[in-house]
Amino acid sequence: MGALSDLRTLALFAYWDLLRMRRRTMFVAMRVVWFALQVTLFALALSAMVRFRGYVSQGLDYYHFYLLGVYASILFSISTSNAYEVAEEFEEGIIEYHLSLPVKRRILTLGRAIGGGLAGFIFTLPMFGIVLALIGGATPWAVAASLAAALAFSIGVVGLVLSIVLSVKSGDATDVLFGVLDAMIVRLSTIFYPAVVLSKVAPYYYAAVSNPVSHFVDLLRTFFFFEEYRVLAVSDPAIMASYLLGFVAGLVSAAVYVVERKLEGGGWR
Amino acid sequence: MLAVSAAVKIVDFVKKFGDTVAVDGLNLEIYEGEIFGLLGPNGSGKSTTLLTIATVYKPTSGDIYVFGRSVTREGDEVRKYVGIAFQEPKAMWVDTLYELLLWHARVVGYSSAEAKSAVRDAMERLNLWEHRGKQFYQLSGGTRKKLEIAKVLIQRPRLAIFDEPTAQVDVITKHALWDVIRELRQEGSTVIVATNDMFEAERICERLAIMYRGRLGALGTVRELKDRIPGGDVVEIGYEGSREEVERAVSRLPSVGRYVLEDNRLIAYLNRGEEKAAEIVSLLTSAGVKVKRIMVQEPTLDDVFFYFTGARLREENQDVALNRGATPWAR
Repeated sequence: MGALSDLRTLALFAYWDLLRMRRRTMFVAMRVVWFALQVTLFALALSAMVRFRGYVSQGLDYYHFYLLGVYASILFSISTSNAYEVAEEFEEGIIEYHLSLPVKRRILTLGRAIGGGLAGFIFTLPMFGIVLALIGGATPWAVAASLAAALAFSIGVVGLVLSIVLSVKSGDATDVLFGVLDAMIVRLSTIFYPAVVLSKVAPYYYAAVSNPVSHFVDLLRTFFFFEEYRVLAVSDPAIMASYLLGFVAGLVSAAVYVVERKLEGGGWR
Repeated sequence: MLAVSAAVKIVDFVKKFGDTVAVDGLNLEIYEGEIFGLLGPNGSGKSTTLLTIATVYKPTSGDIYVFGRSVTREGDEVRKYVGIAFQEPKAMWVDTLYELLLWHARVVGYSSAEAKSAVRDAMERLNLWEHRGKQFYQLSGGTRKKLEIAKVLIQRPRLAIFDEPTAQVDVITKHALWDVIRELRQEGSTVIVATNDMFEAERICERLAIMYRGRLGALGTVRELKDRIPGGDVVEIGYEGSREEVERAVSRLPSVGRYVLEDNRLIAYLNRGEEKAAEIVSLLTSAGVKVKRIMVQEPTLDDVFFYFTGARLREENQDVALNRGATPWAR
């Protein structure tokens, strides 16, 4: 198993997740409806109520801030929904099948993380396109950088999903855990509120600034509106990018550890 | 590295799931190039053993060596040699047969073009080609089972494992699957077949292990296991002559453990009946008894199975009664 062979196998495991995207079309359709409502009704209504007095120089309003927040939120949500797919795969014995294949466990895990991340990323591409259209005038550099960040973020979230689902090995626990995680992580972040606003409630603020979702969404904002949103972001762009990379590397490594050291077939509850 | 003749060497293997002991100190050696049968009642630890050989489970203690590689320390290397057809077919409802097998072929090392050809060959061989576009949920139980066999047929691993391969399949398919198993062996694979079907074990396996409650109950060739049943063969001789002369002749044969005389028939229970029958006939003839017909019946593998597992049931649990009469091997 040389490096080239490993790379080929990794691509095949990523392809496994892409092949099964059609399983999730209903779920994604529901999220698209939610997204449409958010960027039309709610985004417009909220931006009519919220003003960034004293923070932003000119020409920007809460609407643009909110648009990228909604996109980050939906990417997180669709990436975490991979948990239910992995749980179902375990129940159907697919994980046992994968464990029996002539493949290094590390490659298997990396492939599944990348495949799951890619699937989430592709699902949200149309919504990203809508956000771009609504923002207007984005530079190619901003588009390319934000797409790369979105893909990395999605892979990191799937790494988290694999680590947790394959550790708890329970369909019920997966439902509860990811229902709570989805709700808590999005709310304890800067997806809908800037860090400077959250600073009035210390626990909320510290939760948000340590939340990788905050770093991801604020990084997206600085890609598109560097000068305007720099003062609202949780941190410096370089730090946010490093934080995002650390998040991805850490969680994918955790998934590799779980699969290589802990995981075996059977025992699913 | 172990001797090359050992395809699989199981050493003090223990597997626990919580408080449940699935396999309890199993020691076993499977030779390279043989078709090895693993028999045992449900819950005897067959599947657990096979899944541990395939590195899907990890041993609680002990180890298993596949072509000299340890499943606990060299799992990546072990998996290069092993292909397994699971007892329960593994696929998601949305998968189509062709898509799934094509992916499998690529993962086990075929190039894109080779994979298409190998998948088509395997599917045609197992009469799956007409189902290639169907999704998994649309398939019958037997067709789903063939999917698992097709995976191994495509992979052609050095160690092929079949966990109850012919459960739920019709007679024609069963024979086709046996041909596949024999073909793999002829091509150089070592094959392990877990089964509850005694006829299947007898038809295709060269050596057998009978597992019971996670332990090894018996091990040997089919012939050896049959011979191990005391008085397992039945020799029936129809005669004309004095009953006393027959009794006298038979009593001179210590190898005849138990016999019955009824309706001018001698029914003797002994081992190696095919060899002893001639000796009995010779004694009867010299005693002036006219022999009219001879029938030798050896124990079936069912008898072997009941003897090694049923006898233990009686030893360990007096409440469990066998449905085989006074002796488990009597017919």
